[in-house]
Amino acid sequence: MKNIIVGQYIPGKSFLYKMDPRSKILALFILMVSAFVFKDITHIIYMLLGVLVILKIGGIPIMRIARGLRPIMILLLFTFTFQVLFIKTGPVILDTVLTLTTINIGIMILAIVVWYYTRRYIKSKFFYMVLVIVGILTMLSLFTPGTVISSSNLTIYEDGLLGASFIMVRLIIIVTLSTILTLTTKPTDLNLGLERILKPLNLVKINSEEIALIISIALRYIPTLLDEANKIMLAQASRGVDFTEGKFKDKVMQIISLLVPMFIISFKRSDDLANAMEARSFVPGNKRTRIHILSWQSRDTLVIVFCLLVLTATVVVRVYL
Amino acid sequence: MAIKFEQVSFQYPSFDGKNFSALENINLEISDKGEFITLIGETGSGKSTLVQHMNALLRPNTGSVTIYGIKIEKNTNKNKKIKLNPLRQKVGLVFQFPEYQLFEETVLKDIIFGPKNFGVKEDEAIKRAKEVIKHVGLTEDYLGRSPFNLSGGEQKRVSIAGILAMEPDILVLDEPTSGLDPKGRDALLELFTNIHKKLNKTIIIITHDMNTVYKYASRVVVMHDAKLVYDGLPNMLFMDENIEKWNLDLPDIIGITKQLEAKLDITFTKKPHNVNELFELMKGVL
Repeated sequence: MKNIIVGQYIPGKSFLYKMDPRSKILALFILMVSAFVFKDITHIIYMLLGVLVILKIGGIPIMRIARGLRPIMILLLFTFTFQVLFIKTGPVILDTVLTLTTINIGIMILAIVVWYYTRRYIKSKFFYMVLVIVGILTMLSLFTPGTVISSSNLTIYEDGLLGASFIMVRLIIIVTLSTILTLTTKPTDLNLGLERILKPLNLVKINSEEIALIISIALRYIPTLLDEANKIMLAQASRGVDFTEGKFKDKVMQIISLLVPMFIISFKRSDDLANAMEARSFVPGNKRTRIHILSWQSRDTLVIVFCLLVLTATVVVRVYL
Repeated sequence: MAIKFEQVSFQYPSFDGKNFSALENINLEISDKGEFITLIGETGSGKSTLVQHMNALLRPNTGSVTIYGIKIEKNTNKNKKIKLNPLRQKVGLVFQFPEYQLFEETVLKDIIFGPKNFGVKEDEAIKRAKEVIKHVGLTEDYLGRSPFNLSGGEQKRVSIAGILAMEPDILVLDEPTSGLDPKGRDALLELFTNIHKKLNKTIIIITHDMNTVYKYASRVVVMHDAKLVYDGLPNMLFMDENIEKWNLDLPDIIGITKQLEAKLDITFTKKPHNVNELFELMKGVL
């Protein structure tokens, strides 16, 4: 519970840190649009290289980004598999028959059992899993003694593979770009930048300041509420609630015993906060001055111009090539 | 010994890698028969951390805590064979601001929640609830009410009743009287004294009120900067020269006595425990 860090900001000194949050958000937006404009695998790989160059210049370790990609690994794998299997155009790359027989089904189950019990000892669990899956598939296509139980065709087309890689690269680019933004911008700065960028929405009666305030209060209270949750868990544990075990019925009770107090505390806190803000003469919608004033510098203009050039280039490439 | 701390140290982890030391090399023995212990010390000195070790909510980073024969060490939870839950029935811990642990629809349900978790039958638990609600100075009418419509003081008493209904051998309370009016505070302390005397159970109270220490405690433990600096009789503590350094003050009656001694340039033969004793001493001198 204590290890949850909100926002991934890590302090640094590169130009990415010196940029105005507004220009960073805008640049992210423009680059994301260009990532969607590309249609060709080679072009998008050039863009991926470009993103890697940004990482290098910005002094962001690639491992940090890889860690950011981990949660969406399953999603990436999922899209990849389906793309590979369902796009059926272009030349055939691989055409094989997967055969399930009485003997290799046993080996398959054995492999899964061994994987299940040894995975905790392997450091990169994900690659271990992929390795086991690929191994099983290879065995199913090549090693087929015994009585045949069932068999199915596995055909992979070039377009399928390319399309799948294309979508993967695009997703990786988008996630990497947004990770760069959150890694190099403090949550408060991000919030302020967002507020300024959404300011035109005031014309259609959407108050960007209030949205920004809601976000910043929510961010501010996450650690506090985690702390409270921890205290309540300890208090309920003293009353015999064992959060680590129990049947389903007990689990429901355990969660209720945590959630009800959490709701009550949150309401109480928000009440107190509203009073405290009012006592300091906060009136929603009134003009407020700020401690931190964003300053747009020439480097920000430069970055935006560069991003716009990239966007133009992608559009040109898309239309004429 | 019911609870035994052996060279216990504990650090809270923090994000920047430096750990905050909350307990350093604590050695402490607590019996479950008839002790009335007050635990004092300035805020942040590690009192709450210490009591959370007493029912195995926290595990020491080094050293060990033995609770009713079960040794709790750093890696104890990894051994699934050791059940920590029964310990929490024996050592009942009432947290600071216990009112936040209330969650049931009625006071009755909330009070029997603890006992039922420890396998007490429902009707037996209800019987206990009817008893403990009177102990904490409320009436049986409260049992049907929603805990969220009670005042802060009443909520506090209900949550203490919830722990009392578990019938622990050792009752640990983290600042049970904070936020209560003087009458409620005295009533609660009388209740603890009664439990202590009638049932011969051990009571451990964290407090900042030196009068409570002086009036009720049979033993006092002082924490200062994550270390246990004093463990002994309250009388002796208030003679100690270090109490300024530990950010403690004197109970009112001893303060008055010292003032009198200084002003009148006399020394009383012993330290009085209440106004009457002081009066008797004065008569003896004058």
